Amino acid sequence: MKRIRISRCGSQLLAQPAHRRPTCPSAAAALQSNFTPHNYRIQSRPQSTAAAFSGSDLLNAQSEAESSGGARNRKPPPARAARTASTSPPQSIADLTKHRSPRPERAFGSAKLAALRSRLSLPQRFPLQSLARTLVHPSADADPDFNNSSLSILGANLLSYYTTEHLLCNYPRLPMPVVFAAQEAYIGPKALATIAGEWGIEAAAVPGEEVDPGLLQFDRLRSGDDVPAGLRHHEAPWKWNITVTHKILANDEFGSSTSNKNPQSLRGQAVPLEEAAQSFVRALIGSLHLHLGRPLVKRFFRDHFLSRHLDVDKLFDFRTPTRDLSRLCAREGFEPPVARLISETGRLSRHPVFIVGVYSGKDKLGEGAGSSLDEARFRAAAAALKGWYLYKPLEFTVPSSTEGEMDTSEWIPNLVDCGEVIV
Amino acid sequence: MPLSAVKTLAKPQNGVGAFILQCKRIDFHYCDWAGSSRGMNAFIKSGLPAFARRNPEVEITVSPRPHRHPVMIGHYINGREKSICVRNMSLEGVREKAMLIRNSSGERPKKLNKPVTSLNESVRGIWSPFHGAKVKI
Repeated sequence: MKRIRISRCGSQLLAQPAHRRPTCPSAAAALQSNFTPHNYRIQSRPQSTAAAFSGSDLLNAQSEAESSGGARNRKPPPARAARTASTSPPQSIADLTKHRSPRPERAFGSAKLAALRSRLSLPQRFPLQSLARTLVHPSADADPDFNNSSLSILGANLLSYYTTEHLLCNYPRLPMPVVFAAQEAYIGPKALATIAGEWGIEAAAVPGEEVDPGLLQFDRLRSGDDVPAGLRHHEAPWKWNITVTHKILANDEFGSSTSNKNPQSLRGQAVPLEEAAQSFVRALIGSLHLHLGRPLVKRFFRDHFLSRHLDVDKLFDFRTPTRDLSRLCAREGFEPPVARLISETGRLSRHPVFIVGVYSGKDKLGEGAGSSLDEARFRAAAAALKGWYLYKPLEFTVPSSTEGEMDTSEWIPNLVDCGEVIV
Repeated sequence: MPLSAVKTLAKPQNGVGAFILQCKRIDFHYCDWAGSSRGMNAFIKSGLPAFARRNPEVEITVSPRPHRHPVMIGHYINGREKSICVRNMSLEGVREKAMLIRNSSGERPKKLNKPVTSLNESVRGIWSPFHGAKVKI
């Protein structure tokens, strides 16, 4: 957490209110001037919250103005020289608006970073400076040499590559909507933010150079503010028919459309914690790939991501399973499916149970139990469809296993399925 | 749309694949003057460097807390804390308490009624009256 200066604590009790925030032009100052401080507790409460809130708002407004002005005037990004000279205290409020990350050499002194590296069982040769850099979101430090934007792009691509090949090789007949949902369950934005929380990542209240490098640094979105436009999902009008092919070709790996995928475009904007946490996880994968190489990243991915528990058969949501099944049987040249009652009890009672099997010729494709004949039939058809879609080859090799010379396993060609049933 | 999918999150299984130690920080508070922190002071002087070396995944902070009993506070990944007052304890007692904090998961103590808790479905399945040998009445 950011340290509060002792002088500021003392000034709440002792100093004149006018000396505390002489340059703040916001409404809180007017509130202060009307305020009669008869008790220091009553005095300190609105001052502390108002100062924190309005001050940060002011910083936001200024940084936004700066970023928009910078885009217009094509100002060069702040150079390294300016960073090295930043040890002197800031002279004006303009200096305060430049959110900076802790300097790389401070990473050695951070107990949090060393503990995080050990907690994730990363080898000692993974440098702490890189780990510290993965914790800096572009909203905290706009300099792309010091934030995690480039690393998170690399990490996002690696994550989606490894997850996709795992899913498609494990379940070659999985329908595309389920592939998208499984991807989101493993490496979606919410999943990555949860993983960061489970790794014990703490966020700094406000980013800055003096903050512990082991804390996640980002400009936090205030409660009630709008999410930046780059993070919003653009939903198509309900009339539009967004096809699965369009989702595969045009959208991201989760089948959803975000307007831009460049994390650097979020610089100078306040972002929610979830965005910063997921950028950290992606950037960590990217920097692991650069420092430790592919085999270790794959092992890390297997240990931390694929080891999570996901029931793929719970992801299916059939609307018309009986129709899908008859289409599937027609496509594959099976005999048309027939539902037959296997067993029943209490047909005239309050809780009847019917067991219905779906047969194609003499082969039973699926079986379901339900409290009505139709329910049991639908369940049986859904079970039959799941049995088809969730086919899993006994032995398979993923494409990335052939990339390095480390893996000497023999390549087994994967099944390529013609896809789900189109009704 | 013949088929749609349900959005969920993959559930964590700590220890399957990777294991993350749940204790992320331990704060040691001691007093130089009072006799109740004699064991704590001895532990900080003699045992703490070895303890920290053996547990690199735990961040350790030491700070004085004058005229108070010594206390150690564990901070856990789930956001909870566990604090133990180690007044008048010997060096060994303090070390045991430090290991207790380090080994805890940070969860509230729960009563576990079942011998096995699993996310996986039972292999054997739920008993069904419709399958297997029929009962003749």
